[in-house]
Amino acid sequence: MSGFSKSPWIIHYDASSCNGCDIEVLACLTPIFDVERLGVVNTGNPKHADIFLVTGAVNEQSKDVIRNIYNQMPEPKVVVAVGICAASGGIFRECYNISGGVDSVIPVDVYVPGCAARPEAIVDGVVQALGVLEQKHQEMKAVPQNTDQTLYLRAEKSDAPEILGLQKTAGHCEAEIYNDENLPALQQTLEELQNDFDRAIYIKAVINDKIIGSVRGQASGETAYVSGVVVHPYYQRHDIGRQLVEEIEKAFPNAKRFEAFTGRPNARALHLLGRAGYQEFTTEPFTPAITWVYLQKERQ
Amino acid sequence: MSPWIRILIYLAAAPIVGGLLAGWDRRISARMQSRRGPPIRQPFYDVQKLWSKQNIVVRRSQNFYILFFLLMVIFTGALFFGGSDLLLVIFALTLAAIFFVLGAYKASSPYSFIGAERELIQMMAYEPMILLTAIGMYMVTKSFAVNDIASHPTLLVLALPGIFLGFLYTLEIKFRKSPFDLSCSHHAHQELVRGITTEFSGRTLALIEIAHWYENVFLLGWVYLFFASMPVLGVAMSLLVFGFVILVDNVFARLKWQTAIRSAWVVAAVLGFGNILVLSLLSAKPAIPAAPAAAVTQPAASRTVPATAATPVLNNAKAIAQRN
Repeated sequence: MSGFSKSPWIIHYDASSCNGCDIEVLACLTPIFDVERLGVVNTGNPKHADIFLVTGAVNEQSKDVIRNIYNQMPEPKVVVAVGICAASGGIFRECYNISGGVDSVIPVDVYVPGCAARPEAIVDGVVQALGVLEQKHQEMKAVPQNTDQTLYLRAEKSDAPEILGLQKTAGHCEAEIYNDENLPALQQTLEELQNDFDRAIYIKAVINDKIIGSVRGQASGETAYVSGVVVHPYYQRHDIGRQLVEEIEKAFPNAKRFEAFTGRPNARALHLLGRAGYQEFTTEPFTPAITWVYLQKERQ
Repeated sequence: MSPWIRILIYLAAAPIVGGLLAGWDRRISARMQSRRGPPIRQPFYDVQKLWSKQNIVVRRSQNFYILFFLLMVIFTGALFFGGSDLLLVIFALTLAAIFFVLGAYKASSPYSFIGAERELIQMMAYEPMILLTAIGMYMVTKSFAVNDIASHPTLLVLALPGIFLGFLYTLEIKFRKSPFDLSCSHHAHQELVRGITTEFSGRTLALIEIAHWYENVFLLGWVYLFFASMPVLGVAMSLLVFGFVILVDNVFARLKWQTAIRSAWVVAAVLGFGNILVLSLLSAKPAIPAAPAAAVTQPAASRTVPATAATPVLNNAKAIAQRN
């Protein structure tokens, strides 16, 4: 018993719906259907929500919003596509500005058909979502043991938004260590990051289709520069950072020497690089509080 | 009963009682809107669920502040039920709220910023009245210690009707109910995302919920203090007050923060300060001979003074208080 099946909190987003399904979603809260008797709360905040109800097909404007809301929801989470437009694009499927159903952007767990979906069908969809939620919770409980099943893959340009989000999440912890909000990781724009994919190689650590860590590597002559080791705060202390460094080294088979740098107060990063075999060779004062530390490693 | 035992009972029972009250609140609210409503144990399910959710943090230290918010709320309640100084209780309560605000500020999101600022405004609105409540209780019982106030032989509410009503007004703010649910509301109002709790998720949000349960029990304990000489009436009135707060929550829409702070201060000035003024004039009666005052107020009436003089003075004070 985890409470998930008894307290589903919902966030509702209208992707490009005609409002037909939205009215039916809200009808579920009215006295006749009253989903609150199942513990459902319609929260407006993705960080409090368990179930993401999306109505309408996905267009260019709603794509980023859907992804953003989805990424902000804490695990375990379930996506319910309400109405035929959200399920497949419906009659708008072939429109020039429609990319299809919600599953063209984020993974969908439950599809509720109908145009507009009837409140009974929506309540039924939510009840089915509870089962999925419970199952995901069981999987999530296994996460601390499952971190050794992390996949390390070459990141594509299309991963840039998720990596950027990760950099910002993890970057805040780093900014706190340095007491400085102007770190490059927090300042970078999506465009800059995408352009960077042309110059450098990114490796991502993936658990359950979600990027939880990334690292950047760039070769120059016989030296490869390793930077931007980022691990989601939730998954830190599981040795993922060190393995990311190891993977990026494999991505440069011709490099003889690896170089990395971090700041002096960032003890965790120094510890991580130390365990990966890097040794300090020079330092450079940056501000009174921060000293950049350069580390290197020869290939054995 | 020794204070330590009372504190232990508070620590153990407050989350249960507070959770049941919260469940009752949701149930009654649903019935008022002719819905069925969730089961009474719903808040416990919610907390249980939040406990096993992923905790997304913007900055790790925000959770630290919330932990201290919970600890300070528990400390406040423990001081109160341990029979300690009422002023100390108020300061601990303020400190707890400040930790909550700091946590929301730390999360650096515009929504939680607005929530935090509104929480500060709410504190500004209720603090004067809460202080006046403590002062009023002191004036009747000549002690700030909750022990002494609770064992006072008379019904405090009879001497402090204005302060009781003013306290009721601030309870609307403290319980985060409409019309003063500015910083965050427990019900599904969606404006400003979720106000002060926007950036908290998982266990931290569960801690906030539990802190609210502790806080609500403590506040109802304070309501009980007004009726402490008749325990059964006290408990009944505490529950009645809670029901009244729920009723008001369902009847009223949310007010603007300007209205909230102005009305709260007017209430504090008229009901709170007026009541204290009356009390001080009453208690000043034996010290100052009433004759000159009566002579000033009623120079024309050539009554013989001593026995009846106190009444006109009191009436004047009441008139002044009402005019304010």
